[in-house]
Amino acid sequence: MKALLNAVRTGLTEIWAHKTRSVLSFLAIAAGSVVFIDAFSAIFATYELIEKQKEVSGMARVKISQNYSQTYSSPDDYVPPPVITYEEVLSLREKMPGFYMISPEGRDWRNVLEYRGERLTTNVIGVTPEWTKRDFVYTLRGRFLDWHDVENKLRVCVLVKKAAPPPGNSFNKSMLKKYNFTGGFDTLVAHNDMLGKLVNIDGFNFTVIGILEELPYSKRPSTITGSSQDYKILAPVTTLIHYNFINANQSLDLSIDTGSEQNFEESLRKINNFLKIRFGDGEFFILENQLEIIRERIATSVKSALVTISLGMLAFLAGGIGIMNVTLATVFARTREIGIRRAIGASRRDIMLQFVVEAVMLGLIGGVLGSALGYLWGVPVKVMLGMGGSPIKAWMPLVSVLIAALTAFAFAIYPAWVAASLKPADALRAE
Amino acid sequence: MSISCAGLTKTYEGGKAGWPALRGISFDIKPGEFVAVTGPSGCGKSTLLNILGLLDEPTGGRYALNGRDIFSLSDLERSDTRRDEIGFVFQSFHLLNRLSSLGNVCLPMMYAGADGARMRERALSLLRKVGLHGKEKKTPLELSGGERQRVAIARALANSPKIILADEPTGNLDSASSREIMGMLTGLNAEGITVIMVTHDKELAAMAGRNLRMRDGRLEE
Repeated sequence: MKALLNAVRTGLTEIWAHKTRSVLSFLAIAAGSVVFIDAFSAIFATYELIEKQKEVSGMARVKISQNYSQTYSSPDDYVPPPVITYEEVLSLREKMPGFYMISPEGRDWRNVLEYRGERLTTNVIGVTPEWTKRDFVYTLRGRFLDWHDVENKLRVCVLVKKAAPPPGNSFNKSMLKKYNFTGGFDTLVAHNDMLGKLVNIDGFNFTVIGILEELPYSKRPSTITGSSQDYKILAPVTTLIHYNFINANQSLDLSIDTGSEQNFEESLRKINNFLKIRFGDGEFFILENQLEIIRERIATSVKSALVTISLGMLAFLAGGIGIMNVTLATVFARTREIGIRRAIGASRRDIMLQFVVEAVMLGLIGGVLGSALGYLWGVPVKVMLGMGGSPIKAWMPLVSVLIAALTAFAFAIYPAWVAASLKPADALRAE
Repeated sequence: MSISCAGLTKTYEGGKAGWPALRGISFDIKPGEFVAVTGPSGCGKSTLLNILGLLDEPTGGRYALNGRDIFSLSDLERSDTRRDEIGFVFQSFHLLNRLSSLGNVCLPMMYAGADGARMRERALSLLRKVGLHGKEKKTPLELSGGERQRVAIARALANSPKIILADEPTGNLDSASSREIMGMLTGLNAEGITVIMVTHDKELAAMAGRNLRMRDGRLEE
């Protein structure tokens, strides 16, 4: 232990005595640390996304929407495509009771909302209470639509209050300014407490029973499938059908969570069968296998993280070779000193320990420096650049410092062995 | 501590047959002797001293230190023997310039695993003994040649050795400093320490109790 402490003391003296050389060695190792922390946080972010995906959005997801790109060989062949009605949704629900969510959505793209003399463009989407089961990134004031509202086609609605846009990303901001036709509606909801108030949508009065406040971007759980779409007003789907917001030729989109990843293929087959039995063999609907998309995105994330880790390894390797070079140069520059130390009683082990400890300290300090830089890059700098902060956990810098020290250790063994193998008499004769 | 050499040879590598530095040297040194090894340059004095100090290995012959054959010692045992039994004083001092005088004197004790406070106390007392009181914090570069050699002597005494091996200890010093250093070595010998000194200087050699004259790798005693 004493020998180790002495070696540490000697190492620090040497590092201090050769500042430029030491700083260059630190930087070589620090580069590896930065890349490693970035890679660690990228992998961690992927797993965090997967966990959030499971929790918030679900994994075993399917989206069914009307196929608008059907082609016909002649106008005579055209037959109006079949539509998924609310009755079909109920039937599917009855046949697939095990599915976690079957959420229909029917939309009217452009509606006019009147409130206290103001007329504003918005859009109303018809949903059922199942809508809240997935991607619910809101806090609710009041209440959400319930089955009573849906079954009785009540004219009630829930308004969505937008969160402030995230910092940075000026491109999105300017696009939003240019094309946000519902900006007036967003401002109205943001600045008025409309809970319990009566609003008029396309000539029909609706009671606002709830306000869904979007979670701020900083608190919104990130998922692999990303953010959900932009909702403004939610009303019972049956009400919108009844009052002809959604007409008889309009198909409802379905968002389904089959619940289990394991039986996903089986569930998919069941859904396909249902559609075939109901609507025949034509490709009237598009089934988006979201699990496949999720898996592809996970694979891409993991792949890019592995690439970053490889770069980190290369950076560490370069750093290690740098340390080896520096330590070898130190050994040759201090050959006479090695001779002196041997003459006054240092054993081979003492000499080896001295050079290994010195190199490990270079690695440790470089690792600490790299971890600090990695944190700066991963959190404040990335946030300032609008790239989103990396999820850096306390263990990441620790592991990074450990790897830096181990790299330095591994690469110092050979030069230290060279130093320890010098014959005292030969070393003393060195110029 | 007795020294016994019989038929010591040392051949350096180079050329076909190598270069013989020692060609069969035999002598005994009793504990407490002051021996001067003299001879012209290249006669093998320093080689002999390196072998006696376990800094180098002989090619052949027998060398027993206090009855123990040095060929039977492991590298660690040799290091320990150098550390605990032998003190070196070199012509060019061989001090570490980054360390203070105190640090240089502490070094052998550090390798012996001495306690920090005790080590410091002993180093200070040794520096006082060699007349360097008040210069503990000075680095070798801030000291004169004579003072550096005194630091080297203090360092050699750090672990209370039984033998001092001095290789041209006054070679780089003026006559006044040379006298001081010789005085110290004589004093140490008077304390019972065996001193073996390599020198060119016949006057200095005369101060030793016994002379070993070397020529071409052989003794002329």
